[in-house]
Amino acid sequence: MARMDRSPSDAALAHRVAACPSVDGWAAQRRRAFLLGLIPALVVLAAITLAPALYLLVTSLTPLSLVRPAETAWNFSRPWTNFVALMADARFINSLGVQVRLSVVTVSLQLLAGLAVALMLNARSPFLEAVRTAFLVPMVLPPIVVAIIWKVLYTPEISPIHHLLARVGLPVSSLITNPRAALWAIALADTWEWFPFTMIMILAALQMMPEEPMEAARIDGAGPWQLFRFVVLPLLRPTLLLATLFRLIDSIKAFPLIYVMTNGGPGMVTEVTNYYAFIQAFNFSYWGYASAITVIMVAGVFFLSWLITRVVGTEVDIE
Amino acid sequence: MNSRGGGARGRRRRALLYGTAVLLLALILFPFFWLLQMSFRSNDDILGFTLLSRPTLEHYGTLRVGQFPRSFANSVLASMASTLLSLLLGVPAAYSLSRGEFRARRQLALWVLATRMAPPIAFTIPFFLAYRHLELLDTVLGLVLIYLTFNLALVIWMMRSFFDGVPRALEEAAWIDGSSVWGGFLRVTLPLAAPGLAATAVLCFIFSWNDFFYALILTRSAAMTAPVAIVNFMQYEGWEWGKIAAGGTLVMLPVVIFSLVVRNYLVHGLTAGGLKE
Repeated sequence: MARMDRSPSDAALAHRVAACPSVDGWAAQRRRAFLLGLIPALVVLAAITLAPALYLLVTSLTPLSLVRPAETAWNFSRPWTNFVALMADARFINSLGVQVRLSVVTVSLQLLAGLAVALMLNARSPFLEAVRTAFLVPMVLPPIVVAIIWKVLYTPEISPIHHLLARVGLPVSSLITNPRAALWAIALADTWEWFPFTMIMILAALQMMPEEPMEAARIDGAGPWQLFRFVVLPLLRPTLLLATLFRLIDSIKAFPLIYVMTNGGPGMVTEVTNYYAFIQAFNFSYWGYASAITVIMVAGVFFLSWLITRVVGTEVDIE
Repeated sequence: MNSRGGGARGRRRRALLYGTAVLLLALILFPFFWLLQMSFRSNDDILGFTLLSRPTLEHYGTLRVGQFPRSFANSVLASMASTLLSLLLGVPAAYSLSRGEFRARRQLALWVLATRMAPPIAFTIPFFLAYRHLELLDTVLGLVLIYLTFNLALVIWMMRSFFDGVPRALEEAAWIDGSSVWGGFLRVTLPLAAPGLAATAVLCFIFSWNDFFYALILTRSAAMTAPVAIVNFMQYEGWEWGKIAAGGTLVMLPVVIFSLVVRNYLVHGLTAGGLKE
């Protein structure tokens, strides 16, 4: 979007302002007013984001535990201990593996499902527009309600799915207590919750897509598949990358589903890094250690976004 | 890509498309409706899977005693206060960014994006440690402040793009007529950006209302919010599924309605900081 930094009326205004005695007065007054509007928000934003980030970084260099606060708080005698210990912590390494599996599976499924549904619903009709809106419901539900819904579906005694399967003679034991299925059960719930996000991003892109290349390809005799593969998909690329970026970063925050459905279990099969940090801090009270895990997570998230925006940046305008 | 040109074939394709869409939608929304209907069934019917059961409001009745009403009020209070505070701070900042020439604009956008990306645990650990000393643990004020970490950035970013869309000539006319900078803003620009303001407010409210993680950690009983209260039903009161479903329904209904109202701004809000428009 081209921002109009100099609208024509600027000139008219300058002209009139010039006629009055306090020429510099007005420009300076405006500048002061804008600073006045900006500064309170920036001060608060710094206090609630930069200060905590700094605090987190500092805490990660201490062995802080609230069980023994006197000896551990602000103790920088061995600053790298937490990070060194993490490299050898099998549970931490495991959590990274769980995270990668969960992220890869959910993001790919969300992209595929979102793309498929978007292509299906991409036609101008009031009816489909209403259907589109209804498809957004899973995404707008409070995450905790999503977790409850899927806990119900995965609990054999009250689940309609388990009930139906048992009726037709195919009883299945609960997926979330089965170590081999639990992570995929969570991935399915997460995909359900977030495919509408990729769907509307893709729909928005489809509707802004220029007609000409499509017409041209059609005239050249392209079939529907070729049209999709060689015209639509390349045009969607930046949107798909952006959707991937956002979903990937949010998948690292996954919490309510895991907290309600499996608590990281059975064993540690659904214990993602985020959850491990949570346990270290709030169950074991190893705050320094949890901070170190979190610092690594934040670094990972920023690295990932940097990587993807490097790829996307050349194609879409990222501010 | 829609098949134009009528004819029987076109109509049949259209019917097929609509049919598939509706079927798929029913499948997707089934889990949602299942929870909804569960909240109106007696506990026996929930376990018995009877197809037809007499609807009952007993679970909603049981919610009226105990902690739930208070936690619901806490949710309303924390979400509204955080929304108001972030608008109060963020709207003037957004306008200043839209109209003033600041060199650090790009850095600021990156900052907003970074707060959107940082995992909540990164804020929770330092906030928890600080709140112990500030005596803000288990207070609604404590929640309001931590909700600012996502709401303030959202307001600044969203409102700036709305203000960019309001022509400058209008407020300049007000200035020429003798308004102060902020007088012109209040009388001319803000009313024109009112739909955007409303959408932003609703999004702030939804994001605060949906929070579970922060409230789980930073509150215990006095300031507990509704989502945390429902999870407590699961953990401390055995598996009262009807009550859980009723609580879940009460928590989700306001957001579902609100979000469908502002659906066009939803992606905008969820990708705050990332898209230039």
